Amino acid sequence: MLRNTRRETLVALVLISPFLAIYGLTFVYPTVAMVNLSFTDAPLIGPGQWVGLDNYTRLAGERRFDTAFWNTAYFVALSVIPGTFVAMVIALGVSRLTGRMQALVLALFFLPYILPVSVVYRLWDWTLNFQFGIAMYVFDIWGIERVPIFKTTTWFMPAVAFVTIWWTCGFSILLFLAGLRAIPAEIYEAASLDNTGRWTMFRRITWPLLWPVTALVTTIQLILQLKIFDQVYLFSTGGRPNDNLVLVYYIFQRAFVNNQGGRAAAIAVVLFLIVVIVSVLNFQLMRLAERRK
Amino acid sequence: MTASSARQINLVGGIITLLTLIIAILWAFPIYWGIVSSLKPENEVVRPYIELWPETLTFEHYIFALTETQIGRWYINSIATAVGATILTISTSMLVGYALSQLRFPLRRPLYWLILASFMVPTQTLIINHFVLVANMGLLNTWAGIILPQLINPVVIIVYKQFFDQVPRDFREAAVMDNAGEFRILFKVYMPMNWGVTTALAIVTFIWSWNSFLWPFLAVTKTEMMTITVGITQVSDAFGVYYASQLAAAVLAGLPVALAYLLFQRRVTQAITLSAGIKG
Amino acid sequence: MAEIILDKVSKSFGSVRVINEVSLTIQSGEFVVFLGPSGSGKSTLLRMIAGLETIDDGRLLIGGKESQTLPPGQRNVAMVFQNYALYPHMTVRDNMAFGLRNIKMAAPEVERRVQDAARMLEMDALLDRRPSELSGGQRQRVAIGRAIVKEPAAFLFDEPLSNLDAALRVRTRVELAELHQRMNSTMIYVTHDQTEAMTMSDRIVILNDCRIEQIGTPMEVYTRPASRFVAGFIGSPSMNFLKGSYKDGAMTLLDGSRIAARVAVPEADTYELGIRPEAVKVCEGEGEGDTKGQVKVVEHLGERTLVHVHLSDGSAIVAQDGGRSPVQPGDEVALRFDISELHLFDASGKAWHAE
Repeated sequence: MLRNTRRETLVALVLISPFLAIYGLTFVYPTVAMVNLSFTDAPLIGPGQWVGLDNYTRLAGERRFDTAFWNTAYFVALSVIPGTFVAMVIALGVSRLTGRMQALVLALFFLPYILPVSVVYRLWDWTLNFQFGIAMYVFDIWGIERVPIFKTTTWFMPAVAFVTIWWTCGFSILLFLAGLRAIPAEIYEAASLDNTGRWTMFRRITWPLLWPVTALVTTIQLILQLKIFDQVYLFSTGGRPNDNLVLVYYIFQRAFVNNQGGRAAAIAVVLFLIVVIVSVLNFQLMRLAERRK
Repeated sequence: MTASSARQINLVGGIITLLTLIIAILWAFPIYWGIVSSLKPENEVVRPYIELWPETLTFEHYIFALTETQIGRWYINSIATAVGATILTISTSMLVGYALSQLRFPLRRPLYWLILASFMVPTQTLIINHFVLVANMGLLNTWAGIILPQLINPVVIIVYKQFFDQVPRDFREAAVMDNAGEFRILFKVYMPMNWGVTTALAIVTFIWSWNSFLWPFLAVTKTEMMTITVGITQVSDAFGVYYASQLAAAVLAGLPVALAYLLFQRRVTQAITLSAGIKG
Repeated sequence: MAEIILDKVSKSFGSVRVINEVSLTIQSGEFVVFLGPSGSGKSTLLRMIAGLETIDDGRLLIGGKESQTLPPGQRNVAMVFQNYALYPHMTVRDNMAFGLRNIKMAAPEVERRVQDAARMLEMDALLDRRPSELSGGQRQRVAIGRAIVKEPAAFLFDEPLSNLDAALRVRTRVELAELHQRMNSTMIYVTHDQTEAMTMSDRIVILNDCRIEQIGTPMEVYTRPASRFVAGFIGSPSMNFLKGSYKDGAMTLLDGSRIAARVAVPEADTYELGIRPEAVKVCEGEGEGDTKGQVKVVEHLGERTLVHVHLSDGSAIVAQDGGRSPVQPGDEVALRFDISELHLFDASGKAWHAE
């Protein structure tokens, strides 16, 4: 195609300049500044002394960092795989329905995903309320002893994971449905002519063909849940935040409660690296899988 | 296959369908329960048994929330910041997506890599420096300060780029033959061709922005500048431990996005599927 | 309306030559078809005239004006795209007016031209519709209308019929030919379909392998192909080729039969004899023909019959017989060649024709 290179470059520059200004300011600069900050003992706002790797070495033996790290890992384990599994099962059920019925049922499953986290928090705080929560009446009926769920350390993470699955599942369901729709009906028709039973049909046809979507959903969830903060913060109010620390929460505590910008930045860099490594690994795995096809 | 085994399979299928319906109803039940509870008088809310419909239907908690609290103010803040973030995100992303897809210019590849890289970077880790930045600019407790870090939204750029990539080359050539300049090609040919995608992306960007919690929570310290998602959880004095009032406020906070979804269901699902295809 | 002259134009994509020193003069008002297999460079050549591809070397004159460096919009040519490229969000009227508005033409003049074009193409009623509400044939017309309103020096068509179904293609072909007669404007038309080329054009430019093989009227390229490539490419079913040697005014084929050929070529062993199926007749009696063989397949086409024959050396040949041919597969038949329709091709592909 005939192109006027100089004019095209000029137009391109005009088109990308607002973006470059915004990204330079809100992405590139803060990223560099964060790494820089992590090597100093600066408070949240204001200058600090260069302390080298001190902020990092201190993390190694720190109890709160330990809690935050393992809680994050625990939360990821509780939410990612079960969440993917639940979404797949629901998507399989929803895909059996057709027309308006399907749209309605899908809307019921998807609606929570649309809600702000604070609304989700209010709904479940109320539903699981120790005194008046409707769930507790159900507990009573089944003869289970009532527990103040978000005030009990053993219950806290599983409950938050449960609420998180409820909240974000709609998104995964949507992806699974798209994946299921992409499987041509002829394949099922051919299989049923071969007298394939329901279970075999799932195991030998649906599951392998759905595998790429499953991998996609799992990794999106994984990266998302590593960054958990909102739910943990909200459900901890009035509870025991120090036992329920997760990494982003810890960054928040160090920076905004303890006013230690440098030390907070070190935690941020660690989380940053974890997420980047997971993303890159995931990217490479996807590429590998592509190539094997 | 014999008739009886066919019937058996249909029975199994029926049970699965029935189960799906039951689970769907249970799934949405907490939302229903929250709404119903917000419509009961406070004394009815705390009755020690399950009442699926209020004995006395009341809107007193909504009237209370709207008149006695700052919720109206928070609404304005939420609308202003969400609309602002949406307009800015969509317009800048569309231009970049177009440039990446249709124009050849130096640094095109590095720019693309920068955008892909920003996918991987968790914005939650940047909160410290976003705060320092916004504080230094004197934008804490302002709409601009709330909006600024929300503009990192590479998904929208990539969706646009991929959309523009899919437009057959013929259109561009026809426009060139029609004497249209670069800007006319963008604004008269390519942009109008993708109103559907733009609507879808705008709706989800609005929802994402409305729902964002961590950053607005940090960037605002004055109650009158809070967005509604932050306000309803942070200013508990306004509601006390009156569950019904709290729930009424929550319903009000969730209403705009829920409505946006229910009205534009197809667009929302389209945008979500599009954006997810890229995140992988 | 204008003359278009290509003077030794060349183009490369990277290190690959795609157009090699092509020279061509298209008369004002002429309908010229670029015909060739895919990858022959015919579309590239058209796009170079349109300005959608750069011309690396050589000159392009449109109406006497040096145009090889002008941007597409300023070359005073209009193009009809293969997929029409109608702007989906604009009405038919806006689609046609877009190019005129871009050059800030006065609104009344735009409207007049749109109306004229619509009337000429009989689509007045469609002006306020969008492309999605039109049938394939109607879209095709809008695409042509979009070109007409520009009143260009030349129309460029890039395989415009390839997206239509067979019946519509035949009809549109006739309409396009009529349009050309009515407007009497220069048209360049790219296609890989030889029927379109034969039926519509004043002259055919046959491209192969980045260069022009032959330029001529449809009958010229059919009866006097300049090369073996053209001979094989034009005509359906395609020409028969039989290897042999030329000596003493006759070709000796591999099966030993001798065919008298009045062709002024040097004697050599490496010729190919070319003859179209309609010049090969199935003979009634035994021992009458120029050669003989066994019938493998018989295709009855109604008004004529194609008889596929294997000669004794195994080479295949297609003969044409009358519509009610009694020939059956397995029959031994004699074949007679119409020696006034013989062609000889040497090893380099150069052609000689029987006098």
